[in-house]
Amino acid sequence: MAGHAVEHDYHLIPPSPWPFLSGIAALVWGVGMVVFFAGLVPRTGESPMLEFFFSKGLDSLQDSYRAAGDKVGADGGWIILVVGTLFAAYVMYGWWKDVAAESKAGDHTPVVDIGLRYGMIMFIMQEAMFFVGWFWMFFELGLFHKMRAAWNPDVLENADEYATSMAPGIKGVDPWNLPLMNTVILLLSGTTVTWAHHALIHGDRRGAKWGLGLTVLLGILFTFVQGYEYLELFHERTEGHPWISTDAFGSAFFMATGFHGLHVLIGTIFLAIMYLRLVKGGLRPEKHFGLEAAAWYWHFVDVVWLFLFAFVYIIFAVGM
Amino acid sequence: MRSKNTILALVVALVLAVASYVILAFVGLSGERGEGMAVRGGFYLQEAATPVMEDLTTVYNLVTYIIAGIVAFVLGLMAYIMIRYREKANPVPSKTSHNTLIEVVWTIVPVLILLVIAVPSMQLLYFQDRIPETEVTVKAVGNTWNWEYSYPDHEDVDSFVSNPLDKTQSTDAGKPYLFATDAALVVPVNTKVKVLVTSVNNMHSWTVPSFGIKMDAVPGIINETWFEVYEEGTYYGQCSEICGIKHYYMPIEVEVVSKEAYAAWIANGGSFDGSVAENNNMTGVQTAAAPK
Amino acid sequence: MVAIPESEVPAEGGYDDDGKPGFFARWFYSTNHKDIGTLYLIFGIISGLIGGFLSFMMRMELAEPGIQFFTNEHQYLVYVSMHGLIMIFFMVMPALIGGFGNWFVPIMVGAPDMAFPRMNNLSFWLLPTALICLLISFVVPGNANGNGFGGSWVMYPPLSTTGHPGPAFDFIIIGLLAAGFSSIFGAINFITTILNMRAPGMTMHKMPLFAWAVLVTAFLLLLALPVLAAALFMLFTDRIAGGTGFFDPARGGDPQMFQHLFWFFGHPEVYIMILPAFGIVSHIVSTFSKKPIFGYLGMAYAMVAIGVVGFVVWAHHMYTVGMDVNLKAYFLAATLVIAVPTGVKIFSWLATMWGGSIRFTIPMQWALAFIFLFVVGGVTGVMLANAGVDAYLHDTYYVVAHFHYVLSMGAVFGIFAGFYYWFGKMFGVMYNKFLAAAHFWLFFIGVNVIFFPQHFLGLNGMPRRYVDYPEEFAIWNSVSSMGAWITLAGVAFFFAMLIEAFIVRRRVGDNYWGEGATTLEWTLSSPPPYHQFNTLPRIEDNAEH
Ligand code: HEA
Ligand code: HEA
Ligand code: CUA
Ligand SMILES: [Cu+2]
Repeated sequence: MAGHAVEHDYHLIPPSPWPFLSGIAALVWGVGMVVFFAGLVPRTGESPMLEFFFSKGLDSLQDSYRAAGDKVGADGGWIILVVGTLFAAYVMYGWWKDVAAESKAGDHTPVVDIGLRYGMIMFIMQEAMFFVGWFWMFFELGLFHKMRAAWNPDVLENADEYATSMAPGIKGVDPWNLPLMNTVILLLSGTTVTWAHHALIHGDRRGAKWGLGLTVLLGILFTFVQGYEYLELFHERTEGHPWISTDAFGSAFFMATGFHGLHVLIGTIFLAIMYLRLVKGGLRPEKHFGLEAAAWYWHFVDVVWLFLFAFVYIIFAVGM
Repeated sequence: MRSKNTILALVVALVLAVASYVILAFVGLSGERGEGMAVRGGFYLQEAATPVMEDLTTVYNLVTYIIAGIVAFVLGLMAYIMIRYREKANPVPSKTSHNTLIEVVWTIVPVLILLVIAVPSMQLLYFQDRIPETEVTVKAVGNTWNWEYSYPDHEDVDSFVSNPLDKTQSTDAGKPYLFATDAALVVPVNTKVKVLVTSVNNMHSWTVPSFGIKMDAVPGIINETWFEVYEEGTYYGQCSEICGIKHYYMPIEVEVVSKEAYAAWIANGGSFDGSVAENNNMTGVQTAAAPK
Repeated sequence: MVAIPESEVPAEGGYDDDGKPGFFARWFYSTNHKDIGTLYLIFGIISGLIGGFLSFMMRMELAEPGIQFFTNEHQYLVYVSMHGLIMIFFMVMPALIGGFGNWFVPIMVGAPDMAFPRMNNLSFWLLPTALICLLISFVVPGNANGNGFGGSWVMYPPLSTTGHPGPAFDFIIIGLLAAGFSSIFGAINFITTILNMRAPGMTMHKMPLFAWAVLVTAFLLLLALPVLAAALFMLFTDRIAGGTGFFDPARGGDPQMFQHLFWFFGHPEVYIMILPAFGIVSHIVSTFSKKPIFGYLGMAYAMVAIGVVGFVVWAHHMYTVGMDVNLKAYFLAATLVIAVPTGVKIFSWLATMWGGSIRFTIPMQWALAFIFLFVVGGVTGVMLANAGVDAYLHDTYYVVAHFHYVLSMGAVFGIFAGFYYWFGKMFGVMYNKFLAAAHFWLFFIGVNVIFFPQHFLGLNGMPRRYVDYPEEFAIWNSVSSMGAWITLAGVAFFFAMLIEAFIVRRRVGDNYWGEGATTLEWTLSSPPPYHQFNTLPRIEDNAEH
């Protein structure tokens, strides 16, 4: 670049296509979400554009809305969603590849490195507030169910039962079974990732690989156990096990654990990328912020799980 | 020199503050006040019909005086500063940027002012919210888009739906359009009445300004409030929580009658003279005006 | 570095001799905080036009009783909802935080760019995505009554769940999530830039107030927006057939819980919109009084206090939902507290002017109007804070008057003040004083005529979000609508000013405001070089703020 010589250590980045493409990917993905989950059907025939793009034709939805209050999913919504997801994945791949290359090229000077740390801390704070929302919802349901039962017996189905339990007729998930196992898995993975980190610092790349590899495996294992638990609940949902749509407890249970699961998945991918970089010879003992960030994130996911385990599983089982 | 400026500025500001009180006293707070409903071009609270609304008016007046004073004070000060310290009048700016005393003052004084507001405001809040022993209980259920009233203590009074009157109907009835309904809630005068408010679908808000009442109707929750009206008459309000397209078209009409008339109304199963015709008439209007 | 001859650079991705890339790379792939700031400003102006158009249609509808302009009531509610959302998320926030924040925070703290230049551009490009989602929502079904979402910007269920089964509201959810992520990334960027990239000698207590304002704002965004995201997800899954039942009372859910989550975000949000304006006004007042800001530390920490207390007052928007009376009393008291630090700011501005040598330039006029009108809006907020009185005023036009005084006159006046203050700095040319003055006066008179009478409407009992109203409210509504015409004329002069300035191109120097302008942006050329501070500035110990 022209102009004066640069005399500072900050990292100025040349123009990059990824942000702009991310915006487009987000648009495709978002439209896909709506079309997939909600359907997208013009109510009247006034818009030929919409008619052209969306498959359901022009029958007026008025009556079906009135009758069912339900939405009609459009065929083919999943295609948009998949395209959006692949697009987003491609953009992320390209973006992170650039970052890794810059890191290798030495653009991440000490001051830039500190900036990255600030950035990661802020990002984790943001994630924590996201979970505050879900826990708040859960606690509200758990603490005030008696009041709601008293408020309006006509509207609340099983109002009497709600007066004694936040989720009438629902046997909570037994915390000392799969959830306990998952707790152990996550706690263990917290130690393996620390092992990997220390090993890397001490130049023991073999140990680092083992630690990180194990962490990734434990992360995958967690996801499997969680998925298995969901499946089991799905099969037994009629027999007094919670399910997402049975009542508000089921909703809170599945959305909170589900979003946690999503974060486990993200964390696992994050760690897996670090593993690949490690195997390919990246990540130096003195400079490996990527790994540290992944570890921070992983610990955060761990802590959220402990809260879930304590409140959503144990306390509910004991009775809330 | 300095202190003279300060004094002058304060005087200007205070004069403006006092002037605003005078204006408020003559214009604002003495606006024409209708009975039980909004007035044409009105710019003041509706006339109080209940003790809560009376207290509310007092607190409103107090706060209005205070905030009008603050606004006038700031305006006066600004006017003074803008004139006195314009570039022409004061070519060489001073360099002061600290004065601990004044900074403490302008932190403490607002605190004191806020205390003056908070005390009566809290009293009002608790008076309004703590429901006293009531003699009559009515229930208002919000529905898209009308109110359904019932008298839980009187099983032989059927619950009834209160629909808005359309333009011609209200003109015929000699009632204000968008306030008038085909079936008012009937309550006795000088009696403490408890209102239970809830909804069966979207949220609504049961509101009668001259009672000082606004209570949200939320599905799954029964809210309670109370009122005691001083004078017989008809009082109007409008739904005050967005509830869909006819949000503007689900008014509230409360007819406050003498205790005897109320007793008769109850005895007749929700009709003043026992004529079934009145009820039929209501039902007829209901179907005609039902906005669904 | 070596300058590449023009002929040898490829059309795309090449650099001119100022280091600027070619057109497409420069504006679409940008990683330059000033260019991104400009994009944000353009975006804000476009959204302002859309939001202004919607509000103008609303005012025309309300000019007299009856339903005249809109084909049905649903459409009116759609306009109200979209007006609120677009003005807040797509006009004020992009202009103040994205626009001026991007342009001037790095310069003021003496940094060459933002901490994460690429993520900065991501923040921007999520916004057009979000706006497109909102615009799509206009033309897809909302419910059986028509297209679009008519459940107000507060989106309370059940009206936003079972009340709007069509995809219109799903698009709004997606749009707001995108806008939310945009702001979260922006917040991370600002915090990191401010904490990590201050020039040597620029301690936190020497940092200009605008940077302080953006720092506090960024923290509010970071902590408040994720909660909104969670609430929006809950709405989304509640809306899916066979989905969750968070807000469905029949399944043990609680519709009021959404209000808590929303206002836990929503109240910090209102300070998010006003704090950057506070920062801008501080600079302008100090510049044109030719005096350093009075009580700098008090000013900075007042903003911190507003930010902190702002997180614990949210339920003053919910006094009528049937909360426990002790809770109401708590929220009453906590809300009143905010008047104290805000008062500190007002009085410090006045004290800054005291003893100064005041020049009434266009930005100074906006700033002075801001101070006064913000006080008017602020004190009506204090009125609303009284839970008892709010039982009368809640959801009436008194509230509408309150928040337009702090928003349409507070935040928007802050935007225009900053726009005129930095216009020459950003674009290198000076505006035409007559056109700018006409813009100011028409706007000033217009918005006051629109919104002052709305206090009267509220006191008289007129509820919000009404497409039609009884005759009793006709007089003040028609006055209010006349004000909308005046404001419209003001907006026209704004655009005339813009066009004229870019045609005539009156060049300005580095520090065209002279003596009082002391922050770092005035040491740079106008417009600043494509990359400033290749050699970092050094802040002396005795330097003023
Ligand atoms: C920029 C946006 C902004 C700002 C800064 C504020 C500032 C304040 N707001 Fe406002 N408010 C909104 C935007 C804003 N608000 C919006 C958008 C809504 C409606 C949302 C909706 O429902 O759609 C709303 C609604 C709203 C309500 C709910 C009303 C209702 O729905 O019933 C309340 C109630 O307490 C309230 C209070 C306050 C208070 C106390 C302040 C304080 O911060 C004000 C402090 C300032 C001053 C007080 C003036 C200066 C001080 C002095 C000169 C010192 C001396 C003063 C005293 C001693 C009093 N606001
Ligand atoms: C920042 C927020 C903002 C702004 C600026 C405005 C501006 C205006 N608003 Fe609005 N309004 C809201 C936020 C805002 N409003 C909200 C949140 C609601 C509640 C919605 C709800 O109930 O859900 C509301 C509701 C509302 C109502 C109540 C509707 C009802 O309840 O039925 C009315 C009625 O008159 C109204 C009118 C107006 C008018 C005439 C203006 C005029 O001032 C408009 C004039 C035009 C402008 C001010 C735009 C100029 C700006 C630019 C061109 C951009 C410049 C940018 C740069 C220089 C970078 N608004
Ligand atoms: Cu019912 Cu609004
Ligand atoms: Cu608020």
